[in-house]
Amino acid sequence: MLAFLRFERRRLFGEKKNLIFLGFISLFSAYFVWSGLNEQRQFQAEKKIFINFEKEKFSQFVTYAQYGGFGFRLLYEASPLNLFFVNSSVLQDVESNIDSLEAIKVESSFKGKKLFLTRGYFKDFAGIPFIFGSLFMLYLGHLALVSPAYLRFMTGRMALKKYYALTTAARLFWLDLFFVSLGLGLFFLVQLGGVAFSGAEKKIFFSYLLFLVLLLDFFYLLGQLTSVLVHLRKVFFLWIFIVWFFCIFLLPEINRISVFNQSLVLESAEKVNLDKFRTLMALEKKFRDYLKVNPAAPLDQIRQMQKKFAVQFINSTYLVNTGLESKYLRDVERVITGHERQSVLFPTTFYHFLTGEASGKGYYGYLDFMDYIMKVRNRFMHFYLEKRYEGNDDAVESFVKNDENIFRSRSRLPKTFWLGLLATVFYGAACLTLAYRLLRRQVFQP
Amino acid sequence: MIAIKNLTLEKGDFYLSGLSLEVAAGEIYFLLNRLEQDNDFLFRTLSGFQAAGSGEISYDGNRLLGAERPKNALFIDRVNDRADFDTEIRLGQWLDFLCALGLGRENIFKTLLVGNFHERQLKKMVRDLAPETFKLAYLAVCLAADSANVVINDFIKGAGKSFELKFNKLLLQKKAAGRSILFLGNDIFYASEIADRVGFIKNGRLMFEAAAADLKDMDIKDLYLKFLN
Repeated sequence: MLAFLRFERRRLFGEKKNLIFLGFISLFSAYFVWSGLNEQRQFQAEKKIFINFEKEKFSQFVTYAQYGGFGFRLLYEASPLNLFFVNSSVLQDVESNIDSLEAIKVESSFKGKKLFLTRGYFKDFAGIPFIFGSLFMLYLGHLALVSPAYLRFMTGRMALKKYYALTTAARLFWLDLFFVSLGLGLFFLVQLGGVAFSGAEKKIFFSYLLFLVLLLDFFYLLGQLTSVLVHLRKVFFLWIFIVWFFCIFLLPEINRISVFNQSLVLESAEKVNLDKFRTLMALEKKFRDYLKVNPAAPLDQIRQMQKKFAVQFINSTYLVNTGLESKYLRDVERVITGHERQSVLFPTTFYHFLTGEASGKGYYGYLDFMDYIMKVRNRFMHFYLEKRYEGNDDAVESFVKNDENIFRSRSRLPKTFWLGLLATVFYGAACLTLAYRLLRRQVFQP
Repeated sequence: MIAIKNLTLEKGDFYLSGLSLEVAAGEIYFLLNRLEQDNDFLFRTLSGFQAAGSGEISYDGNRLLGAERPKNALFIDRVNDRADFDTEIRLGQWLDFLCALGLGRENIFKTLLVGNFHERQLKKMVRDLAPETFKLAYLAVCLAADSANVVINDFIKGAGKSFELKFNKLLLQKKAAGRSILFLGNDIFYASEIADRVGFIKNGRLMFEAAAADLKDMDIKDLYLKFLN
């Protein structure tokens, strides 16, 4: 094994074009981590401005009616791990406004600098090994077995199975070592740059790295298999490109289109808002009818009625509307769970799902955010109605305590992480075995 | 001793029927066949990469069963293109690897020295070697593991005269050491020069067999036209 390790190390790292490609991957990964770090620092600076703005906005309110009308904003803060996955997240920089209105809004601003923060393709750490690493691994898998003449020559020195297994193991060892070192190196560099990761975040990053390495191994073995399928011919490059394009772009895109089609069963968000609006308007109409019937009612009596309607609103209309919103959210969750299950079917589709969740801005991050919005909104409505109809308007008290208006999303591994990992191992093992069987039939003809 | 008894092979256009021959220790037997691919196919069968249709192949009495590598014979195949051996590595590193797998470094360098090999070639990538330098290195590796039986497939094809002479020297050393050597090829002039016995295959049959010494008294052109044209 040692001889193979030494030989394959020289084969991989002694070749100039390999070194150039590995250098390119390292350089660009480092660049995108640095860019992610910058974005994170920028976000932290803007968060401070956001908090100050919200404080100042609140200080301008004179009555609770104003406070309820304008409300306050909730900012979505992703986990620090997001800097490795800035481009892989499902959500962009989002915020929500909590007020006394019925519609729940989740918005992203494109004002100023954010207009120029265009995302797409591979512009983060997770994208570089995925796009270029996979292509490189396919290529190295193709080169591993050299040629039928070389294999026949080597088979004179040792059994084909042993040669195949040791070559594959040695090459994967060095390539995995490279990608693990790159990932860990950048992770520790970021920590030196002042970003602190919690124990859970570290565990998530290491798990992500484990999956990345297995995904790249799968591509290496797929390259080996493709090479054997075309009888180790040199006209391989068109095939390599087709296989790569299919796995990296086509399958994830098909998966994305499929989840979109599944989401079509969901009711339109506008329809949900409209239902909520109608429920609210029904109550408003009741109040207006009361005023029409009693136009000369004294102010105290009107105030009492307002309070009565507010209590009625909280106990019925608001609950109905919250129920509508919760049901809608659970429907969305069902689509997400289906999408997660479907992503497990192929390593590249699962990689997209995994990086989204690890970024803290994935589908489950969105669900958490929505749950948080509804929870905060519920408390705010009680606070607002109580203060408005029971308290006095002498001094408006802030609902937001500490940094409650910052939603800290956590990075997470999908629930199906181990299943996705096992599926990837299975694909790799299938490629390894199939390639060997075909290779044996090509070298030794019965 | 290499013994082939009633060997029958058939694949695509290639057909060989009832080939029988024996190569004694210290003998070079040259089997002439017109088509390169026929020689390749027979070589693959003799080296255990292709199962024989029927008949028997044995090396020192050990029968070759199906598609398997024979243990007591060494095989030197025709090297068409050194790109087939481009492991993206320097020659010296490739030799280090093969030595680590158990080949004797001394044996390799003994052969290289016969071929006036210069040390600086070790630092070159395999793909950058001159074709004959690579052929020499390949030969050195093949010959490093000694065996009583040697099967060669048209190895000197395309090589210059100086390489041929070096190769002949090595071949004759092997012969002198009592090795049985079976050479497959289609060069009747080279066969008459190096072999002890020559066999002609035409239309899938061994048509004619003669001692190389007798060939000198025959009209080689006539033999060529009769069997190899």
